[in-house]
Amino acid sequence: MAINLKTPTVETREQRLGTIIGWDGTASALAEESAFSRGDCGGCGPSGRGGGKARRVCELTGPFTQGSVCSEQMVETQAGNVRDAVLIQHSPIGCGAGQVVYNQRFRNGCKARGLPVRNVRFISTNLRERDMVYGGADKLDAAIRAAFERHKPAAIFIATSCASGIIGDDVDSVARHAEAKLGVPVIPVHCEGFKSKHWSTGFDAAQHGVLRQIVRKTPAKKQDDLVNVINLWGSDVFTPMLKELGLRVNYVMPLSSVEELAQMSEAAATVSFCYTLGSYLGTALEQEFGVPQIKAPQPYGFPGTDALLRELGRVTGREDRAEAYIAQEHARVKPKIAALREKLRGVKGYVATGSAYSHGLIEVLRELGVEVDGSLVFHHDPVYDSEDPKQDSLAHLLENYGDVDFFTVGNRQQFQFYNLLQRVNPDFIIIRHNGLAPLAARVGIPAIPLGDEHHALGYQGMINLGESVLAVLRHRKFHQDIARHVRLPYKTSWLREKDPFALARAQAS
Amino acid sequence: MALLALKPRAAAETKPEAAEATHIELVRYVCAIGAMQSAAAIPRVVPITHCGPGCADKQYMNIAFYNGYQSAGYGGGPVVPSTNASQREVIFGGADRLRELIESSLKVIDSDLFVVLTGCIPDLVGDDVGSVVRDFQKRGVPIVYAETGGFRGNNFTGHEAVTQAIIEQYLEPWDGTREAKTVNLWSLLPYHNTFWRGDLEEIKRLLTGIGLKVNVLFGPDSAGVSEWGDIPKAGFNLVLTPWLNLSTAKLLQEKYDQPFLHIPVLPIGARQSAAFLREVAAFAKLPKKRVEAFIEAEELRYYNYIDGFTDFYSEYWWGLPAKFAVAGDSAYNLALTKFLVTQLGLIPAKQIVTEDPPLEYRDAIRDEFRRIDHDVSVEVEFIEDSYLIHQSLRAADFGQKPPIIFGTTWERDLVKEMKGSLVEVGFPASYEVVLSRSYVGYRGALALLERIYSTVVSHSA
Repeated sequence: MAINLKTPTVETREQRLGTIIGWDGTASALAEESAFSRGDCGGCGPSGRGGGKARRVCELTGPFTQGSVCSEQMVETQAGNVRDAVLIQHSPIGCGAGQVVYNQRFRNGCKARGLPVRNVRFISTNLRERDMVYGGADKLDAAIRAAFERHKPAAIFIATSCASGIIGDDVDSVARHAEAKLGVPVIPVHCEGFKSKHWSTGFDAAQHGVLRQIVRKTPAKKQDDLVNVINLWGSDVFTPMLKELGLRVNYVMPLSSVEELAQMSEAAATVSFCYTLGSYLGTALEQEFGVPQIKAPQPYGFPGTDALLRELGRVTGREDRAEAYIAQEHARVKPKIAALREKLRGVKGYVATGSAYSHGLIEVLRELGVEVDGSLVFHHDPVYDSEDPKQDSLAHLLENYGDVDFFTVGNRQQFQFYNLLQRVNPDFIIIRHNGLAPLAARVGIPAIPLGDEHHALGYQGMINLGESVLAVLRHRKFHQDIARHVRLPYKTSWLREKDPFALARAQAS
Repeated sequence: MALLALKPRAAAETKPEAAEATHIELVRYVCAIGAMQSAAAIPRVVPITHCGPGCADKQYMNIAFYNGYQSAGYGGGPVVPSTNASQREVIFGGADRLRELIESSLKVIDSDLFVVLTGCIPDLVGDDVGSVVRDFQKRGVPIVYAETGGFRGNNFTGHEAVTQAIIEQYLEPWDGTREAKTVNLWSLLPYHNTFWRGDLEEIKRLLTGIGLKVNVLFGPDSAGVSEWGDIPKAGFNLVLTPWLNLSTAKLLQEKYDQPFLHIPVLPIGARQSAAFLREVAAFAKLPKKRVEAFIEAEELRYYNYIDGFTDFYSEYWWGLPAKFAVAGDSAYNLALTKFLVTQLGLIPAKQIVTEDPPLEYRDAIRDEFRRIDHDVSVEVEFIEDSYLIHQSLRAADFGQKPPIIFGTTWERDLVKEMKGSLVEVGFPASYEVVLSRSYVGYRGALALLERIYSTVVSHSA
């Protein structure tokens, strides 16, 4: 289904991709139920249009739910961390709480990339009770003017909120008028938390706004050696890697500048470390501007990294350099990985992260000989926007590394996490999102918090992750000690429950 | 069972300024549902949030995690029970969904008391949360609710909505003989104040030292809901903040005829601590002998350490700041300013109160700052927008020496620009790890001195 950039509002993930947030079974069964299911997806539509499979995967929903994350938070990570833009949060003050977390990540991300460190530029319109009655358009206009006068930004983003959405403020027309007056893009990003059940829609919402109002529509020049890399705040592993192919990196979106976003349409290709994050932007850049999205597995483990580099080499006409680099890296890392495999023999891991990222991390752990028989992904997309089976990250995992017996889709539900861990009893977990590692810690299991999303990527990533596993296993001393002294807030009857989805199944029957 | 939730302030009362002044860059408080962490600050109490899918995560991540890296507590954090309200609840209402969530929470969560907090969505679509919760209350389920939609107020007013919800909906009527020597302590805002756990512990230690039994109510030293059940039995309430908790104390006075003592300045250091203890002792009619003996013992220890600090303070070659500024909420701002002026002899250059205190309390706050010491009067400013706060700090006269600023993470860049020192003392403090550290009382003052001068000295080379 083509991406529609004509409307200011992005289509939610559940509309576009059939995203679900509750499922439990084997990874192979999930792949089987998903529209992608390797090689069978040509033209799969919302209801199996074009002969492909339907995007309907049976979803488990239960009566008990714990706090999730909203789309607006993802807009904070994306639009809010563009270096020379300002993000206005058109909301009551509580949505502005996110300024604190994304400030910390922005500052530390800038420092890691060698960029000047400073605070984020976020302004909350601070909607109050009377604005709920009379509307908040004037306040929004005032905030846009303040943003412009204070910071002279190259672009202004406006994130909507549940409150502004319910009262029906016409954010689009305020933005349009301001843009005409100020002469810089003023970009409404529609990200009301209640509109999508999964926060990843927020990535798409921010990228949608950038595609509509920042990316140069008619590129004056083509930059044949420039590659868009869709990422977060991670360390700069792409520059040295792509240098080997004679390519330059254009990192988007957090930590990028507005000009770096504008030039995305001039690039030779787009890659990403994670198709959950990169699905929308990569596909839209190809559809609207002819920038090829690299159709390959994600760059984890040998098969994924090899395939991605080869495809990048092919698309940019640098096959020979890609082959040389692959050979050189294989020779460099294989002895080190062999040594790590020795040390990691018999160790069992568990991955609890976003969907596509989890597929990649399991691959790396299996390269290292670490046993992984369980994983929790926070959502599942039965297909990515490209609809190209070469991006079917779950199928890639299954084909190259085998099944995962306990594969769970759950939207960061900590109460289930205890039962999930009991089923597989891992020695450590890998995690990025907050809310689950503290539970693991309290039952004696240490966590590797992958703040640097590039840590496990590519050839060196296998070594990095292996060393992190060895280090975190030492943490067990701390965790086993704490496990003896704390209580969880869950009833004993629930902790004894073998089926993490017992409540959902009881409700369904 | 009238609910004294957030008092909506009339438009005319909110701000004298025009609409331009109302947006806020870089927030220093969050919204009323942030008070879910006030509920979680009571041992074995669990918040249930009826709100959009990101509200609980945002409030926790910001006021508890990236603010000193405090933990979620027993039942708080980003994964508290939540309806994660969706389009369906917006269109059709969320009361049934809330009922289902509470029912299932009873099966899963081991809690002494649930506190239902609402976000913008149910408050805007008009869910009758009260009637849902009352049904459970009638069944004997320990549960209360507070309306804490983000547009109704901030986490300070939300905090009082939670405490008053517990008092109104959970505490039993009581008219027995009161325990004269027991006090309910109403002080710092849990979690939002980065050091609240250590500070409450120190205040409790001081009050216990002069012979009081203390219901500390929040934090690791509290006995939890049983202690809340004992609230009416206490001899009096002690409100130890410039304005927060005053309306709660008035509610208790009304409901139980229970008197309260209001001391606006949190004590830091020996002089303030002694004055504080004597004032409380006089109110509680405690025997002087024990009070003075305790103060004497504490002072002996305190001044022994201060004596050790004297060499550094008088002989350090490389320059110490003479002037300071504080940007923070009224409670800590007032306490720090009082200590730094009266005990260290530092000169206040700028004091900015950042939590938007209700207008009716502002004159009293101004007065406290005006009589910081017999020879020092400070004109405090009330600003919430960090851009304006930084402009005001830049405009202050810090003299020749590099300034020291007591503020938040937001001041990191500003302080580099001004070539000064920063001590992060309030929300958000994203570059501090805080476990039991306290900056109040006798012991906290010593920790504060260590922090201030370690920061200054570490900049010297």
